[in-house]
Amino acid sequence: MQKWFSAFDDAIIQRQWRANPSRGGGGVSFTKEVDTNVATGAPPRRQRVPGRACPWREPIRGRRGARPGGGDAGGTPGETVRHCSAPEDPIFRFSSLHSYPFPGTIKSRDMSWKRHHLIPETFGVKRRRKRGPVESDPLRGEPGSARAAVSELMQLFPRGLFEDALPPIVLRSQVYSLVPDRTVADRQLKELQEQGEIRIVQLGFDLDAHGIIFTEDYRTRVLKACDGRPYAGAVQKFLASVLPACGDLSFQQDQMTQTFGFRDSEITHLVNAGVLTVRDAGSWWLAVPGAGRFIKYFVKGRQAVLGMVRKAKYRELLLSELLGRRAPVVVRLGLTYHVHDLIGAQLVDCISTTSGTLLRLPET
Amino acid sequence: MLGFLSARQTGLEDPLRLRRAESTRRVLGLELNKDRDVERIHGGGINTLDIEPVEGRYMLSGGSDGVIVLYDLENSSRQSYYTCKAVCSIGRDHPDVHRYSVETVQWYPHDTGMFTSSSFDKTLKVWDTNTLQTADVFNFEETVYSHHMSPVSTKHCLVAVGTRGPKVQLCDLKSGSCSHILQGHRQEILAVSWSPRYDYILATASADSRVKLWDVRRASGYLITLDQHNGKKSQAVESANTAHNGKVNGLCFTSDGLHLLTVGTDNRMRLWNSSNGENTLVNYGKVCNNSKKGLKFTVSCGCSSEFVFVPYGSTIAVYTVYSGEQITMLKGHYKTVDCCVFQSNFQELYSGSRDCNILAWVPSLYEPVPDDDETTTKSQLNPAFEDAWSSSDEEG
Repeated sequence: MQKWFSAFDDAIIQRQWRANPSRGGGGVSFTKEVDTNVATGAPPRRQRVPGRACPWREPIRGRRGARPGGGDAGGTPGETVRHCSAPEDPIFRFSSLHSYPFPGTIKSRDMSWKRHHLIPETFGVKRRRKRGPVESDPLRGEPGSARAAVSELMQLFPRGLFEDALPPIVLRSQVYSLVPDRTVADRQLKELQEQGEIRIVQLGFDLDAHGIIFTEDYRTRVLKACDGRPYAGAVQKFLASVLPACGDLSFQQDQMTQTFGFRDSEITHLVNAGVLTVRDAGSWWLAVPGAGRFIKYFVKGRQAVLGMVRKAKYRELLLSELLGRRAPVVVRLGLTYHVHDLIGAQLVDCISTTSGTLLRLPET
Repeated sequence: MLGFLSARQTGLEDPLRLRRAESTRRVLGLELNKDRDVERIHGGGINTLDIEPVEGRYMLSGGSDGVIVLYDLENSSRQSYYTCKAVCSIGRDHPDVHRYSVETVQWYPHDTGMFTSSSFDKTLKVWDTNTLQTADVFNFEETVYSHHMSPVSTKHCLVAVGTRGPKVQLCDLKSGSCSHILQGHRQEILAVSWSPRYDYILATASADSRVKLWDVRRASGYLITLDQHNGKKSQAVESANTAHNGKVNGLCFTSDGLHLLTVGTDNRMRLWNSSNGENTLVNYGKVCNNSKKGLKFTVSCGCSSEFVFVPYGSTIAVYTVYSGEQITMLKGHYKTVDCCVFQSNFQELYSGSRDCNILAWVPSLYEPVPDDDETTTKSQLNPAFEDAWSSSDEEG
């Protein structure tokens, strides 16, 4: 259960730093060093409570530069780090998450730290740091990229819940919670879409919520679902001709009839099979057959998790506490799945505190 | 900075680079300053602000009480503390004042002798600044949400007006009547904006989630409907293209006219390539937008990386335009911010909100270097005047 913590905090802190640079002023200054470049070698470290064992996270952590390896909990490099717990205790681990600079000088307290840091850059003063060795797994994509995030999130999807009839679906907002720069995440997802590796599907409940599915998974599940049914022929023709050719979310009437040669009856078969959903007169969204159950669980689960934060005192909850609580019965997809989505969709604000990340409902 | 100055002096670098770098530094340092104030005249929320493009000295503001005020932004006093005074105003006692809330005011783009204002009382009024009389009034059947006059055009004096009806009307100032009607939208038009690059290109945003680009010389209709999914272009498809998943509230071209920014009630802001209507997919995150009418936001001008200032609830969010990064949130207003304008000569931002205040955000100055002569001040005191008792609590 703990393996996703680091992934979260990585991206949460990064994104926070970008979105709310002035928050570092009060009482969180653990280091005095101003670190301009996020992904640097030897960032100043702060020990975290309690220890998190994440052996499989090494490839993604490696991005942060030359790390001394997993077991290096005791000794602290860098004289600027103040410890918040006994340094000799071997179970406390580092995490590269809190290597973010906080304003140490009084001068920068008036202006937000981030702007203060951007100003010398406008005059061309660039401090260069060497990157440590970056391990990248070609299957999972470069660490920190959208591809790696999608692979990671696919692990969270509960396949058994749908008896393997549904391909694992990941939401775009969940990818935002792991990749801090949204524009970069969007561009990488678009590239993956163009290469044909993933399909983006419009989930019906919110026009903004896009589901991401691996094309292979989608194809196998759809074929399995339409096995032996009267519309099997039309579906196979669709999967063979339209899917590789057109990577869009939606399809138009003339595109289907003229370019791909579908008759109206075949299009009706596709709608019956659940592969197409009506969008407007003469245009259809691509859909996943059997996704209705998933959407129902998702919407209910999202409301339930938001409700947990809403009912808390002051409408805020520590992330660790939220994930440690027992999930209400309505939440069938897992608390972590929903929390990634809430953070990425900015339905809760992430605030970094001394006790970890805090999720707070926004004022409006 | 000194490196830039010497490089400019010796001719190693273009002088524009220093100007852009310094402008960017100033914009990054925008903050509220106790020395700068704008006089408070309005009794209701401020809906619109406009700074004249010729000198950047005079600012017009329109409020929900129908009052229009003209401010002088220039600091001609020798002191650092300065309040921008109202030069004149069209108050409730003026015979031609708007009956309901003023939604948009705009200076005539070529000089300050004239300005236009449109309001919920279904009129667009053209004012003479020196006499403060209406030179012309255009009446419409529906309430007017927004109007705009082309800032670069010399060939036409058309004012584009967006009303509650689905038709965009173009009023000609020379002839005094509505000369064109642009049809294509299905619901009310919440924002209109002419391109700052081409004389005849107009962008309109409507509550039916669509943004359309028009060439007003063309009789056949709109050029492009912006599509947020960047789908394949074909005539039959146009009806399904939406720019946002909710009403589109605000439009702003970047200062070079190559890109267009739109905000919508789906809490998103999108950047479009204005020549082919493509969504550049820059993601700004959640840009809260609960406004039922237009939202007036602005883009900086003259910096090395342009910034967009968007009213976000009671704060103003600052983003870089091309990378989507949020720089900061400017907090200072007590209620919802409705409009903001950027003065590009001094890199100042003025914002108006429902709490009837206009706030001026000025670049923070360099911190003064502390003097080194503190150590000498103690010795200046004559030993005869030094007191012999110690200030500690203990006796003796």
